[in-house]
Amino acid sequence: MKKTVDVSIPLGPMHPCWKEPVRLKCETAGERVLHTEVELGYMKKGIERIMRGRPWQEVMFLAERVCGICSVVHNMVFIEAMELISDIAVPPRAACLRVVANELDRIASHLIANFSYCYTIEHETLAMYLLNTRETVLDNLERLTGSRINTAYMIPGGVRFDLLPEDAATMLADLAKVEEELKRYVRIFETGPLIGLRSRGIGYMSREDAIRAHTVGPTARASGVEDCDLRLRHPTYRALGFEQVTRTEGDNFARVMLRFQEVFQSIDLIRKCVDTLPAGHIRGGGLCRAGEVSYSGEAPRGELTYTIKTDDFGRVLDIAIRTPSIMNIEACAHYMVVNATSIADVTSTFISSDPCIACNER
Amino acid sequence: MRSIVYYVREFLRPEWLKKFFFVKTAPLVTPPYFKGYPTLTGKDCTGCFTCMMICPAPDAIAVLRRKEQWEPEVYPGHCIRCGLCVEACPEGVLASGRVTDLARRDATAFWHSFHLEVDESLCMRCGNCCVSCPINRQIDPQLAGTGTSTSDEVIMRVSSGRVRILHEEKCTGCKTCETQCPSGAIRVARMVEGVQFLDGVES
Amino acid sequence: MSILQSIKNAVRSRSIHVSYIDVGSCNGCDIEVLACLAPRYDIEQYGIYVHNNPREADVLLVIGSVTPQWEDKLRNIWEKIPAPKAAIAIGNCPISGCVYARKGSLTTPPVKNYIPIAAEVPGCPPRPTEILSAILSVAPLIFKDYEEKQS
Repeated sequence: MKKTVDVSIPLGPMHPCWKEPVRLKCETAGERVLHTEVELGYMKKGIERIMRGRPWQEVMFLAERVCGICSVVHNMVFIEAMELISDIAVPPRAACLRVVANELDRIASHLIANFSYCYTIEHETLAMYLLNTRETVLDNLERLTGSRINTAYMIPGGVRFDLLPEDAATMLADLAKVEEELKRYVRIFETGPLIGLRSRGIGYMSREDAIRAHTVGPTARASGVEDCDLRLRHPTYRALGFEQVTRTEGDNFARVMLRFQEVFQSIDLIRKCVDTLPAGHIRGGGLCRAGEVSYSGEAPRGELTYTIKTDDFGRVLDIAIRTPSIMNIEACAHYMVVNATSIADVTSTFISSDPCIACNER
Repeated sequence: MRSIVYYVREFLRPEWLKKFFFVKTAPLVTPPYFKGYPTLTGKDCTGCFTCMMICPAPDAIAVLRRKEQWEPEVYPGHCIRCGLCVEACPEGVLASGRVTDLARRDATAFWHSFHLEVDESLCMRCGNCCVSCPINRQIDPQLAGTGTSTSDEVIMRVSSGRVRILHEEKCTGCKTCETQCPSGAIRVARMVEGVQFLDGVES
Repeated sequence: MSILQSIKNAVRSRSIHVSYIDVGSCNGCDIEVLACLAPRYDIEQYGIYVHNNPREADVLLVIGSVTPQWEDKLRNIWEKIPAPKAAIAIGNCPISGCVYARKGSLTTPPVKNYIPIAAEVPGCPPRPTEILSAILSVAPLIFKDYEEKQS
């Protein structure tokens, strides 16, 4: 059956709004966009194949470099999976420090996602404000781990470095400043009339569609899906009293606002951790043994699953990584931008679902 | 109309006006706690090859012998600045950011043990592994070009048409044999464990 | 050196249009380039404008180790950029492949094999301070006396 479209416009690999190369082919009828197809494959490096046969101290760095934005959580999920295989226990101080590093990275990732969105709807002022705030957060991550991105902070049995008391005090002071600035930016975003024109009601995805498309992460929580945050099942987060943030509108506005709310929640979690940091060891030792496990964690974009098989010497025999962007990009292309009003809405909707193409094709 | 007033009010805040007129360039300095490329501290390197063993990036660090003295050399285009070699060095020859200070304060270390295995179906008996092993070269200076050796103290040698591993405990895990093997037959399993000594007791 | 050439040198070193291309990286270096745009390490105050259009660019920032899909397209994009042009490699990936240069990888580093590179900034990822100092030290030199060198 022949399909009649006016023009099929490729939003190509190089685009001012995309940070990574991906091609979106939009089939248009006049100004309306009927349907989009996503073409991937520009970032495929074969990381899982490189990882085969390597010990944990090399696979850890490869796992981090699957995605540079959410690198700390890849590190954490890989190390926790190795600990599950070998029955290694983590001392409580190290578990708290892991949560601190994870949440700092989550704040940085959500700020980059919202920066991307504001840049796409051409509100460069707010975008630059958010990027400036992110610098303070990355400063603190640097004081804790030694580098801003690709930190390599966690090892099986604990963490690498300790948090000094003066760095903890600086971190709390910086986070108070970040929270105050962010309250102003959220007010700007919420009440700005032009932002509202381009975000409210655009890219709507209902709750049933979100469940059918297996969406994960903030994209799903903004459509009202309950119980899809894997931090609810993690023992350290449960002890800190973690609760999932949900919204029901399901459009661009809801997704961006949900990320802001999660940033406030992360700041609270870090404060609780630093205030109640238990004393003790930061490393518990432990050798990696043979076994097989499939473990999931919550990345800033959704559910991240590592399926690992190791041999007697702790080398990785086989590994499969399922990243959240795979599900979210599919949901965006086939459920959110169907019958969009114009191409400008296609770009802003795609960016609001926070795609990470490097995660998508390792 | 309301939006114009909104934005005008935004730009007339005293904070914004001060930043607009008196802004200064950000200083292009690197903070001292940043893990930079490892630099040499001047202490004597003993040639234990622990840094080469633990390095995750290919060809990033090599311990070379210059005129009676071993010295590690870091290649910036390959090094990923993870700081593992700085932490793992037992003599403190390398330094980067605050890594050595924190490691000394927390009494942390990396324990390691190695296991050598040769895949007989891939091995072509070329002897590259035996010849390139730096420990072999130290033990037997008359090591032949094809990997044969008269000494029984070398880690491995080629004899009777096979690579025989004699002293696995002397291996330092530098994996030079693994990188020089043309078919990937010999593999060094490096088992590393991060430990901490608190009050003199290992955790 | 004629007056026209000195005017061209002065203008070209103070106003540089930059386009970046990601040929398969982990996005770490990409984020650090964006952090250069942020108000803290402001790169626009030196007259350097980062957009994403190869047709209007003077300098191309190459990030990432080359994946199979980009092997032919990278050369195409380089040809599209009008002369005078220069390419700067950011990060370890275009120099040596970083951690991806192992057996079983699908990438084919270094990027030097595909397009000519004028400068390199090593690091995984390089800090924005390092990227800025590299660009600022290279910027006045690459286009200096371009017309006189051509003849």
